[in-house]
Amino acid sequence: MARLVDFLRPELCVMDLKAKNKEQAIRELADVLEKNGKIKDKADFIKHVLEREQLGSTGIGNRVAIPHAPTHSVDGIALCFGRSLEGIDFQSLDGQEVNAIFLIGTCPSDISTYLKILASLAQLVNQRQFLEEFLHASTVQELISVLKKFELGHKK
Amino acid sequence: MIKNILVSVSGSTQALVAAKYAIVLARLLQAKLSVVYVIDTKALAELLRSRIFVEVEARSYEEELQQQGTIMLERIKKMAEAKSVNTEVYLLRGAIHEEVIKKVEDLPADILVLGELKDIISRTETFYDEGERIFRTAPCPVLIVKNPAMVEQLYKEII
Repeated sequence: MARLVDFLRPELCVMDLKAKNKEQAIRELADVLEKNGKIKDKADFIKHVLEREQLGSTGIGNRVAIPHAPTHSVDGIALCFGRSLEGIDFQSLDGQEVNAIFLIGTCPSDISTYLKILASLAQLVNQRQFLEEFLHASTVQELISVLKKFELGHKK
Repeated sequence: MIKNILVSVSGSTQALVAAKYAIVLARLLQAKLSVVYVIDTKALAELLRSRIFVEVEARSYEEELQQQGTIMLERIKKMAEAKSVNTEVYLLRGAIHEEVIKKVEDLPADILVLGELKDIISRTETFYDEGERIFRTAPCPVLIVKNPAMVEQLYKEII
């Protein structure tokens, strides 16, 4: 089973995004992926993610957005998280601003793993308690602990 | 007597190792080999329902998986034929564990071969991992293939 905790490392989490809108948020998180060597071509990756947004917002409601795209500019799976304290207009389906953004990309040959990660993520963000604790974490370490607690059943 | 061997494959390296071992077994036991690849349409449907995917996107992923599955099955069929093993391949759609179990029952398979399972690091994981689910619910003996180097050696040894 593909586990989020295997991919979402502390260095890939931004606790306070500076971005004020959707595109800025995607660019800010893509920077993090690039700095951590998760994407080979940032411009191409951003282009694919923004093209996907054109099909319909990935703001899925409950203050969560999961922008994503398969592209050859990613090796394997690239996942990072950003929290916006102010909230960002993602044109979400429920009209709410977004506070939790998970940016994910995959190499097209790794789609099976990608689907499993997205399914795990969908399962987690549908749990109100998870979101409450995840969004209120005060440090990256606490954030990862919350993820482990809900994904793996580990105690903090 | 083992007459029907079923191996379940995905796009992973572990699955390819399992397929090689299944070919070796089928050849040594003079058994028929069936190979199954399941396109995880259940996961796609869940992602559509949770609105992470839009229709057109889910369809394109399904096509991509179909292509990957076809390539994988063709590759294994050729490998088996090169070792003179009678082989049938099946490209199915649905929930992976459900479709594999159905195929075990339909054939019926005398043994099911799977690639190495991931380490279990939590109790909840055992309920969600497809390999784990198949392993626990299969109505026939299940063989988990480990040690890729040994498998490669065995595979090369059969002519």
